Amino acid sequence: MKSPDLSVQLAPQNSRGLRLANPVTTASGTFGYGAEYAEVIDVQRLGAIICKGITLKPRHGNPQPRLVETVGGVLNSIGMENIGVDSLIREKAPTWAGWSVPVIVNVLGQSTEEYAELARLLDGVTGVSGIEVNISCPNVSAGGMEFGASPEAAAEATDAVKANTTLPVIVKLSPNVTDIAEIACAVVEAGADALSLINTLKGMSIDLASRRPALGNTGGGLSGPAIKPIALHMVYQVAQAVEVPIMGCGGISTASDALEFIFAGASAVQVGTATFTNPRATLDILEGIKRFMEKESVHQLSEIIGAAK
Amino acid sequence: MKQVNATVVSNHELWPGAYLLWAQAPEIAALARPGQYAMVRCGEGHDMPLRRPLSVHRTSLDGNVAFLFAVVGRGTEWLAQRKKGDPLDLFGPLGNGFDIYPSSRKLLLIAGGIGIAPLVALAEQAVATGCSVTLMIGDRTATRIYPDRLLPSGIKTVVATEDGSLGMKGMVTDLLPKFIPEADQVFACGPLRMYQRMAQMSSELRDKPTQVLLEVVLGCGVGACLGCTIETRHGQSLVCKDGPVFELSDIVWDKAVAPPAGRRYLRK
Repeated sequence: MKSPDLSVQLAPQNSRGLRLANPVTTASGTFGYGAEYAEVIDVQRLGAIICKGITLKPRHGNPQPRLVETVGGVLNSIGMENIGVDSLIREKAPTWAGWSVPVIVNVLGQSTEEYAELARLLDGVTGVSGIEVNISCPNVSAGGMEFGASPEAAAEATDAVKANTTLPVIVKLSPNVTDIAEIACAVVEAGADALSLINTLKGMSIDLASRRPALGNTGGGLSGPAIKPIALHMVYQVAQAVEVPIMGCGGISTASDALEFIFAGASAVQVGTATFTNPRATLDILEGIKRFMEKESVHQLSEIIGAAK
Repeated sequence: MKQVNATVVSNHELWPGAYLLWAQAPEIAALARPGQYAMVRCGEGHDMPLRRPLSVHRTSLDGNVAFLFAVVGRGTEWLAQRKKGDPLDLFGPLGNGFDIYPSSRKLLLIAGGIGIAPLVALAEQAVATGCSVTLMIGDRTATRIYPDRLLPSGIKTVVATEDGSLGMKGMVTDLLPKFIPEADQVFACGPLRMYQRMAQMSSELRDKPTQVLLEVVLGCGVGACLGCTIETRHGQSLVCKDGPVFELSDIVWDKAVAPPAGRRYLRK
């Protein structure tokens, strides 16, 4: 048998398109700016790299402690520490331009205008293959999740980005909402080429010794295997509601996790926390998906996307 | 840095709640420098998503690496139960390690509690390069003091216990005014409050070149997740990659926080 075709088109409606050689990508915030893991794995084998969320100006992030482990999960309150979009364009994009793996830049604005400005600045940058609009960060006081909490605000942020770039635009949704499908429909209506879901769930942990919140910023975002069933269900729900491709994200640690998301309707997956547990997780997952397809005589990934519907 | 499928060679409780684990990991043993660490995967499957950063305690020429760790929570509880022959997933060596300046001949090493772990490797290296080493070890009581027989020969050891059951009575930091002036360079590993006390010493003592090894919860170990960012006098630094070893004078100590005690609090 011919080796299976794992490639996916994430932005079929976009003139520039966003073709990934395979569906395994890195979740924003867990893979730095891409080069951090280059010594550990062959990053060129990934479907795409989604870099650390970027803001207009550099940000210092939240006070320590920023990470706490929970059972099967991790709470983080990094607080969007990043180098700012200018440094990203100057220092990181030239490296990406030499890579075959597409790099998608995650952007976070504090206002609609900032989302627009970030899109405009990234539009013509060589080495940037797409934009992921972060309307779902739970760790910042302005912007982020407040855009992701209402269909109107989510659509506004999406529209602001779309109006200022020809790059494929993926909108990353928050699970901290009543009806994620409603938000999904609103951002698709506003022109999103694809969706990614889910970002982290709000949570907290309390330290017995200090009797205070364990995280420096009180609350944080929960990721890891603990949130997988929630993420999977949300991907399944959204896949019924929209026509655009979906990137599934949330606790994906193994190939079987990734396949569940694909069956639920995801065209690609984002691997995050699992990379901390196993730095080779992405490539192990890729191999596992390939083995499954060979075993089950699946020639193209598209044959199994949404199989569970 | 490499992700290595290592094998446990031995694992013994050295004193109540502290374990010495040797693992066969030639790729890490060959590269590791004192002060560097490995991220150790704990638990089965993905129930503990974060690896535990453990300082390299010693290495052997036949490709083994030792970790000395205190049982403080779920991860180290699991690690304490590993037996000879068990597999162990290690990722390392990571971080910058200690830097003995070429001009330094007399070194003072200060260990608070389990902070002895990285300093034994450093003492071995220092002795091998012809430096004279004074190692100060402090803990609550005699039974928790690192055994003399496991220390490299040719070093001077000074012990302090809080209950006076071995060596001097008190904290190691109480002894520093006597020992720091004679040293060319100082290296310390211990709890945050020990560093904070050292940072409050007289300027004459503080000005001695002093490197400290910091502990925070790490996510990735490679500078990707930014979970370990701390404030230094030169801006933000990553403990995992720029550290874990820093100059005492570079850290903004009043902004430093100890990792949450978690379950270790209930063990006290």
